[in-house]
Amino acid sequence: MSELKDLNVTQPIDLPSALERIGGDESLLQELINIYIEDFLEKNHLLRKAIEHRDFTTIREIGHSLKGSSGNLSLIHLHETSYQIEVAGKEEDIERARYHFQLLNQQFMKLKDFFPSLSHQTLE
Amino acid sequence: MNKQKLTNKGDTIKVLIAEDNVVSATILQKSIGGWGYDVVVARDGEKAWKAYKDKNVRLAVLDWMMPKINGLDLCKKIRENDHNAENKQYTYVILLTAKDQQKDLIKGFSAGADDYITKPFNHHELKARLKTGKRIIDLQRQLEEQADRDGLTGLWNRKRMFKLLEKEINRAQREKQPLATIMIDVDNFKRINDTYGHHCGDAVLLEVSSRFQKCVRNYDEICRYGGDELFVILPNCTMAMTQRIAERLRQSISEKKIHTDLDALDVTISLGGVSSEIFFSKFLPETLVIASDEALLKAKSKGRNCAFIKN
Repeated sequence: MSELKDLNVTQPIDLPSALERIGGDESLLQELINIYIEDFLEKNHLLRKAIEHRDFTTIREIGHSLKGSSGNLSLIHLHETSYQIEVAGKEEDIERARYHFQLLNQQFMKLKDFFPSLSHQTLE
Repeated sequence: MNKQKLTNKGDTIKVLIAEDNVVSATILQKSIGGWGYDVVVARDGEKAWKAYKDKNVRLAVLDWMMPKINGLDLCKKIRENDHNAENKQYTYVILLTAKDQQKDLIKGFSAGADDYITKPFNHHELKARLKTGKRIIDLQRQLEEQADRDGLTGLWNRKRMFKLLEKEINRAQREKQPLATIMIDVDNFKRINDTYGHHCGDAVLLEVSSRFQKCVRNYDEICRYGGDELFVILPNCTMAMTQRIAERLRQSISEKKIHTDLDALDVTISLGGVSSEIFFSKFLPETLVIASDEALLKAKSKGRNCAFIKN
């Protein structure tokens, strides 16, 4: 139980929860993570521009979309940060958006770093 | 996963997934497809509306927040369309909502949603909710069937007969193919009822219906017009073919006695048919019914147990 808790705090994905959500299909999870990464990179670019232009509608929409994807994959930190970006868009709070945009990118890098080991140790 | 196709009256149940989020859409597509449903995915509300109109969708999973048309408005449009469509059918709608939208659920139900799933959704929950949807759709189909069937024979009733005629006339005119109909009357049916009782009359009608089913092509439709009158719709059927089918129907009844609880009865029928080949302009369902009825009168006047095709 404490192991699972540690994993939730330190790792970018709550793997048991992610697998439970999709019926335990590990190859599907791997495919979904790849789709997520591709989608993230595209949206991240748009989000950067939206923050530059203070386009709060787009900030909110991208935050909402990334929140949905990361939630489905139990990417706990990315999910929370995406939610904060959505709220920043709703409340038209550019500082909050900027701060969480940086945090989002750091968390995304952690996810990418994590994946070779995840792929090697757990999914194969 | 169970790969067996889930069917509804022989057709695989079509599920529309309207979801702009690529990860959610993939999970939904893989899961629902894996459970045997036929899946159509649309990535925005407008495409979803088009897919709904083009395909025979019976279940729809709609994301609430979508570009172009949101899930709520899409749900309203689907309900309106289901209600107004000529061939009414019910589409079971499940809304996908984020947790912080739960307070808005009342709006979703007011828009006509049947159920909702909170995102991020769980595989098992989704499967269970779809199963509920399928159960409702199956019941709806049964009700639709019962409303269109004759209680005694199980044949299409008169109301459905006119709808079928309209559909087949449109098809025949579009494809420039002939459409034929035959009106059938059990000879001296009143005498059977008066002599043996109505339950014997019912048994005769049941047997006639049953024998008819074996004589027609699988795309022909047999209806109970009323009383002892039956009506057969024969798409893509020339006058000569109508004559042959009518003769086959006639023989199927006259060649073998009909066994009832009280006696084995010699029953005959009279048939009047028409093929649209004889009409030079557009024709209506009533045109075919009247022409078939006139032909039936002619058959009766020729001494019954015969088929007359109008020319």
